[in-house]
Amino acid sequence: MRETADRDYGAMFRFMVGRMVLVSLLPLMVIGGANFYLFYSLNRSVVLEQHANFLRYHRQSIETFLNGITTEISTLAHQYSLDELKAGGLERAFRVVQQRGGMFTDLGIIDSNGNHVRYVGPYDLADKNYRDTEWFRQVVEKGVYISDMFLGFRMEPHFIVAVKRPDEEDFWILRATVNTDYFSRLVDAVRMGKTGETFIVNGQGFYQTKTRSAGEPLSPSGYLDLTPHEGIRVHQVSIEETDYIYTTTWLDNPRWLLIFRQETSDVYSPLWKASFLGLLMFLVGAAGASLLAVAVARAQTNRIKRADREKDMLTQRLMVAGKAAAVGELSAGLAHEINNPLATIDTLQTLIQDIASGPSLSDGDRDEIIDSAQKIGKQVQRAKGIMQGLLKFSRRVESQPEFVDLNQLLQELAAVASTRAIVEGKRVDTDLEELPTILAPPAHLQQVFANLLNNALDAVSGKPDARVLLSSRLHDGKIEVRISDNGCGIPEENLSRIFMPFFTTKPVGQGTGLGLAICYGLVQELGGSIQVESTLGVGTTFTVQLPGRPATAGPDAGGAP
Amino acid sequence: MNPIRVLLVDDEAEFTEGLTKVLRRRGLTVHAVSDAAAALSLVSRETFDVVILDVKMPGMGGLEALSEIKRTSPGTEVILMTGHLSPSEEEEGLRAGATAYLIKPYPIPDLVTLIQEAAGHKKEVE
Repeated sequence: MRETADRDYGAMFRFMVGRMVLVSLLPLMVIGGANFYLFYSLNRSVVLEQHANFLRYHRQSIETFLNGITTEISTLAHQYSLDELKAGGLERAFRVVQQRGGMFTDLGIIDSNGNHVRYVGPYDLADKNYRDTEWFRQVVEKGVYISDMFLGFRMEPHFIVAVKRPDEEDFWILRATVNTDYFSRLVDAVRMGKTGETFIVNGQGFYQTKTRSAGEPLSPSGYLDLTPHEGIRVHQVSIEETDYIYTTTWLDNPRWLLIFRQETSDVYSPLWKASFLGLLMFLVGAAGASLLAVAVARAQTNRIKRADREKDMLTQRLMVAGKAAAVGELSAGLAHEINNPLATIDTLQTLIQDIASGPSLSDGDRDEIIDSAQKIGKQVQRAKGIMQGLLKFSRRVESQPEFVDLNQLLQELAAVASTRAIVEGKRVDTDLEELPTILAPPAHLQQVFANLLNNALDAVSGKPDARVLLSSRLHDGKIEVRISDNGCGIPEENLSRIFMPFFTTKPVGQGTGLGLAICYGLVQELGGSIQVESTLGVGTTFTVQLPGRPATAGPDAGGAP
Repeated sequence: MNPIRVLLVDDEAEFTEGLTKVLRRRGLTVHAVSDAAAALSLVSRETFDVVILDVKMPGMGGLEALSEIKRTSPGTEVILMTGHLSPSEEEEGLRAGATAYLIKPYPIPDLVTLIQEAAGHKKEVE
């Protein structure tokens, strides 16, 4: 009976919530994770491909530009003679070239000894000698030369394009300084994201253009992977705790490395944004699923709790009924075996009394014998009473059901009980509401309510203001009779046993322990139920519910006469 | 007035012995036998006012004996006694003509009164 009551409903509730959340969220998480992975891979390959395509196209345009300026200077050197250039031709040519975008900072003519013989530009370089410079040696050797970036006499980062022009036995050199800003803008013309930028480093890893954030021209780039490679290369580089995606390709002439770099987080920021949105949706869904799980689990737990309670009550009733039936079977057989010897004892004690009543004994002896015999007789009647109770319990006197005015029956019982009660200083009150007649054996009803009423009167013995209330009413289509007392109450440990046969708290010889068991059986037989509520020291209420009968079915539907 | 003639039929020897003595002391004429067959043969030979029959006996039971007595001597009053209350037995017995169906142990003074009433009733019928 206690096993279900001890069930840990809290743990059950938590288990259900956990399982439902798991069941609903696991597929969501798997699908979400797979989606993210697919989306990430696709996005990554698309983005990197985009970077590679951009750089491939961009390299072409830069190479075109470098070829263009080389051709330009070459054409200039061959178009004019040295004398023409010295006599104002250089200035004119510079103006023409400048009109096409300012790609050159200055132009200069250097003779075979390295002397700067003519110069057009903003710097004071007219009397400089370049014989010992790297670019001079290179152009003398190669004829056409694009230098790496260097500081030179002007002490500013720049690079030059130089062309050697043979002139009879001798030669001269036409040199142009490429405008660093112009070239840097050209290289970094296309911007991507917030951090995407394009720049160039030379074979030793020094910046060859102005960059937005990477570093100053001619400063070391820190980019160490300078082994030449074919085509486009994409890889991730970590510089000062920032991750970048570097896309690189080598230019042919000069041997420079064209680099497009973007911070990794910037590259994937659209992806992160989409993922964040997805995560947000997932969390909202998860919260919804969890709330639902909690609600469902709570309802389910309550339902189980209710079912358990009902089961417990049913089990208890079945146990009482089962025990009652077992005792009934036993007692039926027992009664016969005991009643016969009782009959013999009783007969013999009657004989003793009869003999003792005769004149042959002294008065004292006679009284003694008669008294003893009477006591034997009383004990026999007591044993018989017990056996009869058992018999009634096991196989009740068959009694025909009749239409009974229950209130009248209760009123009569109360009146009879009152006569006894008033003498003992107890009060019996009634509060009877109008009831339909009930189809039941009157003897059974009388036995049930007389028994309950007597119990109630016993319970209030010795109490000041002792009071028993007998009330009836129609409740939910059922007839309900309550017998309440303000007596001593029933301890909780006894409450579940009071309907068991032979359970009694009365002193030996005063109660058979069958009264309530018989009531229970009779009420069950009438299709009703009997319940008890009790508080120690406050009182006890027995509630008998009997099935009501449709008002039209009886011969005299109605209440008290 | 002739004493009332009673026949006791019960397999419990001590019970019939005691009851015979008690009833005799109270002025009744009592015969006792321990089974139904003996009772039937006695009833066929002698007249009794009241037969007290145990319901449950070895051999022929009380109810069968009752029917037989009522058949052969319809004027004889029969009181059934049993240690074991059975509503169906009670009904059957009363329908077969028993005067009463008593549960043992039945108070002797009451039993005497019942016997006297039954005998009186029989006399009236006669």
